[in-house]
Amino acid sequence: MYNSLTRIQNVFGFFTTVAFVVAAIIAASDFTSPRTPSATIKTTNVQVVKGRPHYYSTKKEEYAIIKFSLDADLSSLFTWNTKQLFVYITAEWPAPPVGDSMNQTNKAVIWDSIITSPSADYLSNLGPATLKKLKRSAEGKSIDPSRGKLSFKNQKPKYQISHPTGKIAETDDVTLHVHYNVQPWVGMLTWNQNFDFGRWKKMGQGISKAFELPAIKKKDAEKSK
Amino acid sequence: MAEQLLDQVRDVVDGQIDFEGQKLAEVLATGLLAAVGAVSFLVGFFLQDIVLALRIGLAGTALTFLVVVPPWPFFKRNPVQWLPVGGGESATTTTQQNLVIDEKLLEKR
Repeated sequence: MYNSLTRIQNVFGFFTTVAFVVAAIIAASDFTSPRTPSATIKTTNVQVVKGRPHYYSTKKEEYAIIKFSLDADLSSLFTWNTKQLFVYITAEWPAPPVGDSMNQTNKAVIWDSIITSPSADYLSNLGPATLKKLKRSAEGKSIDPSRGKLSFKNQKPKYQISHPTGKIAETDDVTLHVHYNVQPWVGMLTWNQNFDFGRWKKMGQGISKAFELPAIKKKDAEKSK
Repeated sequence: MAEQLLDQVRDVVDGQIDFEGQKLAEVLATGLLAAVGAVSFLVGFFLQDIVLALRIGLAGTALTFLVVVPPWPFFKRNPVQWLPVGGGESATTTTQQNLVIDEKLLEKR
């Protein structure tokens, strides 16, 4: 510490230690805040249509369009260390046993969304007007748990799902599952868990009743051919 | 003239402080940074605001740099009292100095 340079090195060196320790404590503080997410989901309208994976494709595949209604309360996932929350809905159905492949599950995402916390609003991929609106909705608030409350009626899926075989119509035992992924400012990524872990409770419900995908819907144009 | 000025600049940039000052600087740097870390976590946790925690942490660190790095007068309060050059006036003028280097006695007038 006898001249300026050694003092700079010493102070900076200890600063990095302090920063690391504080970050570790912040990450650990996540365990003190209870997580009690819950969601109810049901399908409202299911269709299966024929389509092409891309414009020049000669192969035709079947695509399922699953509309759904969702009521979710994920507000307890928003704490001071939450940067953003990724919410996604998957359709899952058991694969028919073929040879050795038993007990396999088909899983495809039909809808997803990123919910930013006010501290991460500037990261969201929105147009300037929408971003301004989003920022104003949480003005003066460091966290905004109300953003975790989702309510959709007859929502269109973002992604139409298919299967590697190209066949998806008349699949039975399909269920919709609500998933989330908490992305913190510091610490580990955490997903929804199927068991209680300390103060983090497992997702309340979040699975729809099993339903069957219908047969292919014939377009009028195709019928006349 | 220019050389004197350069020497002054060199002194300020080099910023040497005395031994007591070094001890004080060490204690100050450790104490301040640890306190800043604790305060930034506690404020952030209880106000549930991570941006505020980050700002407190960075501002506190900047403050620590400002307090510890420049050679402030309170780091120079106990300058080392060196012995007079040549071991005192009497030694230089009258008696011989005996320097032991590599176990050989060097005699010097």
